[in-house]
Amino acid sequence: MLTAFARAFRTPDLRKKLLFVLAIIGLFRLGSVVPSPGVSYTAIQSCLNQSKDSSVYGLVNLFSGGALLQLSVFALGIMPYITSSIIIQLLIVVIPRLERLKEEGQSGQAKLTQYTRYLTIALAILQSTGIVALARGVPSRLFPQCNQAILPSTSLFRVATLVVTMTAGTAVIMWLGELITDRGIGNGMSVLIFTSIASRLPSEGGRILQSTSGFVFALVCLLGLVIVTAVVYVEQAQRRIPVQYAKRMVGRRMYGGTSTYIPLKVNQAGVIPVIFASSLLYLPNLLSQMWTSNQGFTNFVSRNLTKGDHPLYLVSYFLLIIFFTYFYVAITFNPVEVSDNMKKYGGFVPGFRPGRQTAEYLDFILSRITLPGALFLGLIAVLPNALLSLTGGNQFPFGGTTVLILVGVGLETVKQIESQLMLRNYEGFLR
Amino acid sequence: MTETRGGVTATTDRVGARPLPAGGGKGFRGGQRNPWRRLSLFYREIVAELRKVIWPTRHELVTYTSVVVVFVSVMVAIVSGLDYLFTKGVLAVFG
Repeated sequence: MLTAFARAFRTPDLRKKLLFVLAIIGLFRLGSVVPSPGVSYTAIQSCLNQSKDSSVYGLVNLFSGGALLQLSVFALGIMPYITSSIIIQLLIVVIPRLERLKEEGQSGQAKLTQYTRYLTIALAILQSTGIVALARGVPSRLFPQCNQAILPSTSLFRVATLVVTMTAGTAVIMWLGELITDRGIGNGMSVLIFTSIASRLPSEGGRILQSTSGFVFALVCLLGLVIVTAVVYVEQAQRRIPVQYAKRMVGRRMYGGTSTYIPLKVNQAGVIPVIFASSLLYLPNLLSQMWTSNQGFTNFVSRNLTKGDHPLYLVSYFLLIIFFTYFYVAITFNPVEVSDNMKKYGGFVPGFRPGRQTAEYLDFILSRITLPGALFLGLIAVLPNALLSLTGGNQFPFGGTTVLILVGVGLETVKQIESQLMLRNYEGFLR
Repeated sequence: MTETRGGVTATTDRVGARPLPAGGGKGFRGGQRNPWRRLSLFYREIVAELRKVIWPTRHELVTYTSVVVVFVSVMVAIVSGLDYLFTKGVLAVFG
């Protein structure tokens, strides 16, 4: 199996792609460590050491790879980009003009990407302003127990520089992500989230090992392995819809006549719904940072929606995941389009007429097979947190979301490398 | 899959096909009104579809799981190595 990894590196253009992705990951991590201008690095380090409990900004900090609390150049991480792409996807359904753009094809898609980028910048400005506001003051609200000034000077110029730096950092991250999607391997957004989470894993693991016994640590690892297996199991499950192609004579040659199948995965949406749901749940948090005058709202949010173990959080998280699974499947797999394509090339599902009836059949299967997939995603994301909160510990980073994203993105990337290897007639790792 | 209407085989997909109950007994829902019965029908359809799903074999499962675990561990190692270096560097410059 490991020889396959070596072989992947021996194939020239695959090696180029892999090294490209690794280089971008390196850049991304570098930016997550370099502090922003106007921030006292030593003060932040001592504050981070003082406050062991980072669970207040748990998920956000996790998704930014710990860069948020360090106020580094890439403090906001990939979150604004994800949030804005969700918003645009949702708006496509609501606003007819955007829907028309989507149907327009290439040029419309380019326009939509442009809107997504603008929205990202706007969100980044909002969010960085929020963070800077939190970091101000001597016992700053970012680190309530710490008595050092994180921002030595809070003049307008300094604050503006900070906001501009972080916004620019977000723009660079967005670009890096798109570069990975274009020229590397895998989906850039997922790969960057993967990197952020991977960077938190050792330190959080070490924290669990320190704060509890080795037995609990082993138990958490075992639970992680079980989740990994379960995710792989569901991710690989397919409903195969047989497709028969008609024989055709073109000139003197015979074409077609083969039978294949359309693979419909039980979890057609992958991990995207989880990423979407968790970043959407962060929005109220962001709002409460902006809108500090309304004390009731702020308290409500910080009590119910920031920590990962509150019942309200868990329930809304679960429901959001189910919604986004259906939503994402509906965006990415269009039964009408698939059946039209099949009709064009003379294919049909045995027992169904090409065209509308086939599309209805596909839709029928898809809507039924997605529900177990969605329930599975939701349960995996929510259950470990619920269990851990019952036992009292708040081991948030080892919850289902983390493992789900790590495994999902890992599997997707490995499969892409595999298919690239297969393209060159090598046996891949997945025999 | 021929739907006859007044003795004439319907040959078009679009025109006038809508008023008919869709599908010739292939499991498409007809005009079922009772929500509980609809729900239980939906549930039975889900189970029926899940039976037709091809689940991975034990061998496949083991291979994929180990490949993913190896991949994730390699990535975690690379990223934490990078982080260690960068933190040292930044500490040397700013600390």
